[in-house]
Amino acid sequence: MIPGLLMIAGGIGAGVFGSLLGLGGGVLIVPLLTLGFGLPLREAAGVSLVSVIVTSSAAASVYLQRHTANLRLGMSLELFTAIGALMGGLIAFSLSDRVLAALFAVLLTYTAITMARRRDPKPAPAAASATATPVLARPPAAASQPAAADPPLAAAVADPPIAAAVATSDEAPARTGALGGLSSAATLERLSGPGYNVRHLGRGIVGSFFAGIVSAVLGVGGGIVKVPVMHLMMGVPLRIATATSNLMIGVTATASAIIYVMRGGIDPFVAGPIAVGVFLGARLGSRIAPRVDARLLRVLFVAVMFYTAFQMLLRAATS
Amino acid sequence: MARLLNIGTLFSVALLAVGVVLMATSGQSPLDPDFPPLDLARLPSDLLALRPEGFLWLGLIAVILTPISRVVVSLVGFVRDDDRTMALISVLILGVIAASVVISTLVR
Repeated sequence: MIPGLLMIAGGIGAGVFGSLLGLGGGVLIVPLLTLGFGLPLREAAGVSLVSVIVTSSAAASVYLQRHTANLRLGMSLELFTAIGALMGGLIAFSLSDRVLAALFAVLLTYTAITMARRRDPKPAPAAASATATPVLARPPAAASQPAAADPPLAAAVADPPIAAAVATSDEAPARTGALGGLSSAATLERLSGPGYNVRHLGRGIVGSFFAGIVSAVLGVGGGIVKVPVMHLMMGVPLRIATATSNLMIGVTATASAIIYVMRGGIDPFVAGPIAVGVFLGARLGSRIAPRVDARLLRVLFVAVMFYTAFQMLLRAATS
Repeated sequence: MARLLNIGTLFSVALLAVGVVLMATSGQSPLDPDFPPLDLARLPSDLLALRPEGFLWLGLIAVILTPISRVVVSLVGFVRDDDRTMALISVLILGVIAASVVISTLVR
């Protein structure tokens, strides 16, 4: 009973932080289960994938309602994240716990650095803040939203810090440049959206494929790869890239979760408490978001990430 | 579609929650290294007998089906809009998911 309650509590914590920071929670859940509860990494990844699907589905509904997610672009890239996830799911079962731990440490470090590099949005000269928007501490949007809808994740209401971290420069949405390798102008046009043009579809596809592999092997959503791919490589505005990435995570994680399930890689007795906890935590997170100091949270998160990365490295080196 | 995702999520989490409650009442620890893998044949009897794994596995299946049903709904929408490219992409996505089922059955 006690371990179950602890797992629910852990799930709630991961859900709250994940929702406040704009992550699926995978980077929090896997270390929680491996370092906290002693689970092997692959089992933790399987459970985490399930939780990530839950948070993705919950958030995606809000993004779709608000038309923030670009469904066509998302689904086009989703095809390739799913293929990557399929391969990743198969690869995952031939990797040792040590290798997985080392890879996870790399992911954690990358995530921490991305968060740490984030600049707070400056008071805007007109051109600069086309994509950067205020983060969750006191977003004007948040004040008026709660009555209208009940977003399951704070990320739906304001740009989460991790998304803003990707925007290393406050650039205006990119214009169509030279035609990307395999895409015709008409294709790019169809995938673009109001106020922006998508470019470099070829690179986006490769990046998405890679994101799918990362997601499947490490049990994370992969947004930390997808958002930069869409925003920095393909010219999608940050807010839309985040929403679209969130939408895509569901299918990506599903493709590999199926493999984990069929190979006996998911423990329902762990997945149940964790997924329930994460769901509750995500809802709680969206409610407390306006009252949270974003910068303090981010500092705390970066510290936790670095610490966890170090612990993962130790695990990889010594187990 | 948004409502579908919402309902799907709530439904799956509700099933999982029932499973978790049953875990508590039957004293099943999550840290028990033995756990029952998914067995569809056993599912109906597990549910009727109120075994936690019945509800947990049904909930997990529902979780996995939610994004898949979103793709199906999108496909229907694209077909209705005569958007052949996106309809094809939707079908291919479903194909990849079907492939993951098939491949993991074969690779044992």
